[in-house]
Amino acid sequence: MIERYSLQPSNFNPETPKELVILSIIAQSFFQPFSLEDNLLVILTALTAGSGIGFNRAMLFLNDGMKLKATTWLGPRSPEEAEAIWTMLSSPGIGYAEIVAYNRDLVTRMVKDIQPRLKSLVYDLESRTLPLPAAAAVNKEIVLVTEAQNEPVVDSNFIKFIQVDSFLCLPLVAQDEILGEIVVDKGITHAPIEARDIELARLCALLAGNYIYTTNLYKKVVEMEKMAALGEMAAFVSHQLRNPIVAIGGFTKQILSSPCQPDRCRRNLNIIQEQVKHLEDIIYKLSHFLKITIRELQPVDVRPILLNLVERPDIKLKAARKTISLKINENLPLIQCDPIYFEEAVVNLLDNALDVTPEGGKVYLRARPYNDKYVLIIIKDSGPGLDEKSRDKLFSPFYTTKENGTGLGLLFVKRIIDTCNGKLEVQSKPGRGTMFKLYFKIQERGPS
Amino acid sequence: MKKILLIEDDLALSLLYEEELKNDGYSVVVAHDADSALELVKNEPFDLIVTDIRMPGKDGIELIANVMGLRKDIPIIINTAYQSYKDDFMTWAADAYIIKSSSLDELKAKIKELIGN
Repeated sequence: MIERYSLQPSNFNPETPKELVILSIIAQSFFQPFSLEDNLLVILTALTAGSGIGFNRAMLFLNDGMKLKATTWLGPRSPEEAEAIWTMLSSPGIGYAEIVAYNRDLVTRMVKDIQPRLKSLVYDLESRTLPLPAAAAVNKEIVLVTEAQNEPVVDSNFIKFIQVDSFLCLPLVAQDEILGEIVVDKGITHAPIEARDIELARLCALLAGNYIYTTNLYKKVVEMEKMAALGEMAAFVSHQLRNPIVAIGGFTKQILSSPCQPDRCRRNLNIIQEQVKHLEDIIYKLSHFLKITIRELQPVDVRPILLNLVERPDIKLKAARKTISLKINENLPLIQCDPIYFEEAVVNLLDNALDVTPEGGKVYLRARPYNDKYVLIIIKDSGPGLDEKSRDKLFSPFYTTKENGTGLGLLFVKRIIDTCNGKLEVQSKPGRGTMFKLYFKIQERGPS
Repeated sequence: MKKILLIEDDLALSLLYEEELKNDGYSVVVAHDADSALELVKNEPFDLIVTDIRMPGKDGIELIANVMGLRKDIPIIINTAYQSYKDDFMTWAADAYIIKSSSLDELKAKIKELIGN
């Protein structure tokens, strides 16, 4: 027998232990595309949901450089408010999304009166005499404080703020890094904090620490990728500019160095002129490429654009002694793009296809609906095709097999398709030609 | 006369190098990609190879590895527009790494140092 269960927990029966319900709700957040703040809010909720672990309020501190700063305080301010929250959270069918929405709203409402005061709770982690609650984070230990008034190691400003005598400090630590702290109390029910509460709270703190850690790591990786891409770009650009510059310099030197034969001089000047043109081309395309920003995607009717495009003189000239086989479905749905960029993307590919197709050969241009969601544009050549290696290099900047190519055309096409939320596929085999498939999202019809 | 194999995919540059090196008294054979260069190495004796790194098909690094399999004794100069690989070139078994410049003095001096003229 085979039984299957969803990875994501949904509804529980009433006998499910509360701890399990809470952990399940937290676990659900792993599947959600919510922000770190939202995920932390869920943990704070798990800690404070009346029917849950049993704390009433939770304050979140985050490590901002070398300072521990209070950022959010979640929980009811009065028994009445507590009652309302707990009723809501224990209603059947409540899930992660509802909790996030509810708490976002709650925090926003609390922001006005609490936030300015919350800002005053800042602790310098470098300080030698760090009071509680911050000391718990620095020492990386859970601290239970009771009768806080009698403890000189507790910050009196903090006691004044939360107005309770007992609270639990939970450091948020991952990979030995201090990331923040959560302080929970039972300020509404005034029940004692018990060993079982601490066990569950510890688990929540570990999860919260991990959330913060992985989010920070992700941000760092994205930043590093950006820098690496920039460095690569700079290396490619300088490489690409150097070749024509070296040629210009070298041939100029030839002209100047010895009594120059008129023929040789003229030839050199022609080469120099070509190289300057090539440089201009690179610079033009590069700036053009960097400029692609489509402010707003708009509905585009691709059929007239494609029909028009094969009549363009530059395309016709290239297509002399070759055939463009055209099949554009009638009544194609509108796509989301920008008409000018769409045309440029297709022209770029068609241009390439014509370049590699031998005389007498065929280039195929097709457009048809795909899958109810996309319009598929196909451009196929009858050229030599690509081996796996060349196919991998196809979209690297400045990769070109053409004598005067800039190696930016395909990158440009890809960028346009990405900007239009489309997809691009390349199929190619040596001897079989190359086929580009462009999938553009269909413009969804608004209410008419 | 010493014979140099020059691999450079840029047509203007290969013409420039060919003329300048011939002018210095070398015999120069030009290839525009690695595969045709390898064919030449199989069939003709060369005293020196000057190669670019980035070119369509096999790149210069692959070319060097392949040449090593055919003839270990030919000195190789990498002549490229890339500055960033300079630190690695020894591991590729090349004898020199020159960054392309409109003055060919450095390239010429290196060739002279390796094979005389």
